[in-house]
Amino acid sequence: MADTSTIVGQTMLIKGNLEGDEDLTVQGRIEGSINLTKTLIIEPNGVVKADVSVANAVVSGVMVGNLTASDSLEITESGRMVGDIRAPRVIIVEGASVRGKVDMGDLEMPRPASDRKPVYTPKPMARPSAPSKPKPTVKTPEKKTASPPPKAKKAAPPPKAAKKKKKVVVKKKRR
Amino acid sequence: MANVIGSSIVIDGEITGDEDLVVQGTVKGRIALKQSLFVENSGVVEADIETQNVEISGSVTGNIHASDKVELRSDGKMVGDIKAPRILIADGATFKGNVDMDR
Repeated sequence: MADTSTIVGQTMLIKGNLEGDEDLTVQGRIEGSINLTKTLIIEPNGVVKADVSVANAVVSGVMVGNLTASDSLEITESGRMVGDIRAPRVIIVEGASVRGKVDMGDLEMPRPASDRKPVYTPKPMARPSAPSKPKPTVKTPEKKTASPPPKAKKAAPPPKAAKKKKKVVVKKKRR
Repeated sequence: MANVIGSSIVIDGEITGDEDLVVQGTVKGRIALKQSLFVENSGVVEADIETQNVEISGSVTGNIHASDKVELRSDGKMVGDIKAPRILIADGATFKGNVDMDR
C-alpha cells in the first residue's frame, strides 16, 4: 500500500471529479467533487468548490460545497466554509467562519419533560386543625406517665399524634 | 515545488497549473501546465497534454503538445500524437502515433 499523500500546489487548478484512497492536501483550487477514503486537508491558500465525501477533513482555507465526513470535520481558525456539514464529530475552532446546516446524525437528546417519570410527590402532610394547639398541653402529662418507648407511639400513627410526637420530642429536649 | 497525484487517486477532469506535476495515479481529461509533467510508473494518463516538458515512465493515451521536450522512458507507453521540438524515446519504450518536430 502506497502511503503517498497527494498535494495540489498553489498554482494548480483541478476541475472535475477526484477520488482516491489516500490523504489529499489542497493548496490550490479544486472544483467539482471529491471522494476520499482518508483525509482532506485544505491549507490556508486552498479553495475547494466541490461536494466532498471523506473520512476526515481539516479546513484551513475556503470550502464551498457540501461536506460529508464519516469520521470528523475540523474547521480551523483560518477556515471558511459555506455549505452543509454531515459528520459525527465536528470541531469548529474560534475564528472559523461557517454558514450552512450541521447534521451530526442521530443524537441522544435529553427526554422532554412530558416523557419524564413524575417527580416524587410526598404524601400530603396532615395538618392539625386549629384547636390542636391547646391539646398538647393536655396530652403531654399522659405521655410522660406512659413513657413507653417511642416506638409504641409510632405504632399508633394517627396523623395528629404524629404531629404531636414532634412537639413531645421538643419538650423532652428541653429537659 | 512539485505537485503529486498519488497512486490511488483518480481524477476525471481538467488540471491546470504553473508548477511541475507528478502523476502516480490516474488522470482522465486534460492537463495544461506551464512546466513539467512527470508520469511515473504507476501513472495512467488518458488526456490531452499541453506542457513545457513531459517525462513518461507510465502510460499515456492522448496527444502531447510540449514547448520544450518529450521524453519517453524505457518503461513508458504512449499512444497518441507528439508535437515537440525535442523528442527522446528510450530503448524499451512503446509508442504508437505521429511525431511532429516542426520548429
